Amino acid sequence: MFGDKELIHIHKARALQIANIIVICFAVVVARLGYLQIYKGKLYQKFSQQNRLRKEVVRAPRGMIYDRNDKTLVDNTPRFDAMLTRQFLSNKEATFKKVSKILDMDLSEVKKIIKKSSYQAKYIPIILKKNISQKEVAMIETENETLPGISVNTFISRDYLDKEIGAHALGYISEISQRQLPKYRKRDDVDYKLGDFIGQFGIEEQVDKTIRGDNGFEYVEVDALGRKKKYINQNDLFDGIKNQSPKPGQNIKLTIDRDLQLAGYEALKGTSGSVVAIDIETGEILAMVSTPSFDPSQFSRGLTQKYWNSLINNEENPLRDRNIQEHFSPGSSFKPFTAIAALEEEFITGETQMQCHGYFKFGRRIYRSWKRGNSMKVGVVDSLKNSCNIFYYKIGAELDIDVLAKYYRMFGFGKRTGIKLPREVSGLIPTKEWKLKRNGIPWQGGETLSCAIGQSYILTSTLQLANAYATIATRGKRYRPFIVKEVLDQNQNIVKTMKPELIADLKLKESTWDLIQRGLYRVANSPGGTAFWRRGKGNQMAGKTGTSQVVGATSVQQLYSKCEDKEYKFRHHGVFAAFAPYQNPKIAVAALVEHGCHGSSAAAPVVEKVISKYMEKNMPQFKEKYAKIEREQLIKYIRKRKAAREKAQEAEDE
Amino acid sequence: MNKTFVDLLKKYDYSFLISMLFIFIIGILNLYSATHAHTSETMQGLYKSQILWFVVANIVAIAISFINPKTIFKLTYFAYGVNIILLVLVLILGQKGMGAQRWLVIGGFRLQPSELMKISLALALSKYYCSKSSDRELYLKDLIVPFIITLIPTILIIMQPDLGTGLLLLLIFLVISFYKRLRWKTIGTLFIIGIISGSVMYKFGLKEYQKRRIVTFINPQADAKGGGYNVIQSQIAIGSGQLTGKGFKNSSQASLNYLPENHTDFVFSIFNEEYGFFGSIILITLYVLLLMRFVWLATSVNYFFDSVLAIGLMSIFFWHTFINMCMVMGLSPVVGLPLPLMSYGGSSLLTFGVCIGLATSLSNSRNIF
Repeated sequence: MFGDKELIHIHKARALQIANIIVICFAVVVARLGYLQIYKGKLYQKFSQQNRLRKEVVRAPRGMIYDRNDKTLVDNTPRFDAMLTRQFLSNKEATFKKVSKILDMDLSEVKKIIKKSSYQAKYIPIILKKNISQKEVAMIETENETLPGISVNTFISRDYLDKEIGAHALGYISEISQRQLPKYRKRDDVDYKLGDFIGQFGIEEQVDKTIRGDNGFEYVEVDALGRKKKYINQNDLFDGIKNQSPKPGQNIKLTIDRDLQLAGYEALKGTSGSVVAIDIETGEILAMVSTPSFDPSQFSRGLTQKYWNSLINNEENPLRDRNIQEHFSPGSSFKPFTAIAALEEEFITGETQMQCHGYFKFGRRIYRSWKRGNSMKVGVVDSLKNSCNIFYYKIGAELDIDVLAKYYRMFGFGKRTGIKLPREVSGLIPTKEWKLKRNGIPWQGGETLSCAIGQSYILTSTLQLANAYATIATRGKRYRPFIVKEVLDQNQNIVKTMKPELIADLKLKESTWDLIQRGLYRVANSPGGTAFWRRGKGNQMAGKTGTSQVVGATSVQQLYSKCEDKEYKFRHHGVFAAFAPYQNPKIAVAALVEHGCHGSSAAAPVVEKVISKYMEKNMPQFKEKYAKIEREQLIKYIRKRKAAREKAQEAEDE
Repeated sequence: MNKTFVDLLKKYDYSFLISMLFIFIIGILNLYSATHAHTSETMQGLYKSQILWFVVANIVAIAISFINPKTIFKLTYFAYGVNIILLVLVLILGQKGMGAQRWLVIGGFRLQPSELMKISLALALSKYYCSKSSDRELYLKDLIVPFIITLIPTILIIMQPDLGTGLLLLLIFLVISFYKRLRWKTIGTLFIIGIISGSVMYKFGLKEYQKRRIVTFINPQADAKGGGYNVIQSQIAIGSGQLTGKGFKNSSQASLNYLPENHTDFVFSIFNEEYGFFGSIILITLYVLLLMRFVWLATSVNYFFDSVLAIGLMSIFFWHTFINMCMVMGLSPVVGLPLPLMSYGGSSLLTFGVCIGLATSLSNSRNIF
């Protein structure tokens, strides 16, 4: 055996060999450095200084959006920005003067922009002016040689052809924010970069991955002044570098009918409200409009501060989609569902008649009907027609809230409809348990009375209401509302078709459906019905008015004054929901007009206009037929009234 | 007491710590230059956290330098065992970072066991070889046990997947075995085995991106996705530095973001662009001097374990430096190994700090302990 010292001595030879190998290895490194830096140094210097290789992103064109009849709703248009790269600037004063003249800007303005971005690295291009015209583009391109550092940046901006109309459903795209960047990278597994546009709202957000496509890239050689020299194809040095062309996004065909959309917007214009129309046989959204609205094109063109402020400072909040992102008390438009509960629980039948006099006493409180001194007896059908509160108070006094809630939920209230759009609200259907948990106070019997007429805690969205009325029209079949009908490829071949999804099939008594449908029909088609005068022509719509009470009136005077005399923000909301036509239902529509005071005068005309448009387009012969019948019935009614009056006159005369 | 302390300070070997400091100063200036023009503020602030890590690495190094190598000798297999367990844990519950599982989070602290494994392996192999302390040359059969010692962590690391570090362990094993007088004939045999198993592994054992790196290296034209782009840009950066370089903060390749990863794997390119051929000669000389100091240490310590360990630590430094330089100059595939003390990264700084600390401890043991 050897001692340690001797062992080390024996291995000394190897240590020396290792030292030699190290020296040889680094000699190779130095030789390579010499080759690159001395032998080829000049060439690389040239590449580095004069010819710069730039990897440029080629943005994929975003998919187009069409309505159900292939009308273009959203397409792409090129947009040009004038850019300035400080690194390449020379002969500053002259360049500034020239460019400010071309772009019609003040010289001081140009300087201000440059000063503002002086903290940035020199090589980052600054936007001088957004959205420049074709003429300005041409002038910059031709004056290229005398405008060092100035360039034009082209990219595709999104054009929403109908601007404000249906903006909420379509949504908008805008640049990904610093905050969204890590989140979205993780979510989509896409390496987003600042400056990338992504869908931020509505359909644009929902189907972003489908319509965004994949960006490509290309290598561009630029000269020392940042001007493009040529696109790289073949070159000694750049062998092995290949460009990648972008993959365009897929196109989307919606269930929306642009004509209905326009009719809805036209009817709502000037108010704050929402209207949504559903094809009852599939759940397809035919129209979805919310007002006030915004112009989505502005977002992809680069919002001006002014426009943004006008949106943000608007108290009516134009950026909210009132169809799905807001809920309200549906008021009397909720009565059919209470009636259904009462009929199914056999608290009432078709024959049950109840006094509809002016008030109902429950405990120590008096619940009033909206019409005073009206003291006739009504059945369930006419209770809908006249919107008799007392009838429903009696139901509310008898049936438990949990029983009512069960029926309300059957119609989809209290949970999201499941439409594939971002940030849908769920509305609210209260139960005893819910209240105890939330407020710590047990349920009060009186609250059931208010719930029975769609007030108190009950909250629904316009979309929920429309879909629940669709369920009445189909006699129990409810579909998940959807808005994207087909996904198409570049050549408009269908890639994917969305199928209707049945989400509920209620088995109720046939007589229940008959009674409710008849009641709703009378609301709009029988003289004295709350929406009789808003029924339009030949629509045969069956619906119900409602008033959503706005609480917070400050003074007693305000509280008891007529709705129209109140301050705007204390006026009630008008609600109307209906399906049509009565005998052969196809469409269900719901509308809310904020602070519109009455369902009949404010919301019913909106619904009627959408239904009218639908009938006119899809079933014109029915519309004519119904109109004829309506005319005859009205004449008959007038004659009858006349005869009755004459008879009364004669009796008096005698 | 006071006298012994002064005595200790006189006998203390400062050479390793001073070398580390010199290279780090060059590194931090280079890192600042490479990142100062970056658009994101986190990138701009990287040099600050790098300085912080350097302080930590120094504290660790100095602490280790006062440990007697005999204590280290005793703990060798224990450290190796613990490290293997950590590697297994990474595979089971490691955090995904950059598509590979390399991190282990312990109380908010991110640990990268594969980094420590380089040192644990050098320790374990040193101990094994000196337990068989004969003067006989090594035959192929003598390699079986140390090869298994190497292979276990290598496979665990390649499974993460981190091919670069995995292969590095094999290289460390080769250097130590060479020092332990592996016969030249056996080296020849190993060379042939290596080529055969390498090609089999390429065919069946590599991930797509790993294959791509190798393909890019052998034939840049074959790569359509632009993986060759980095190497070309890196070569432009190095070449354009010419003899004297463009000067501090004047790297256009870095500031134009042509070079991705210019603060980690490609720092050497930026350094070359700014300081040119002459600057690189100085930097390379510093590295070579440090490596030579390790070799010198191996021949002048009192115990054979110390001697083998010194070579093992040297090999860690050597391979990182050599492979990193080769890959940025287009001489080897881009395997993602940092340049010691120059590249950004806390874990790697810490690893090299531990190496320096161990080397200092070995050197000190001759006179102090």
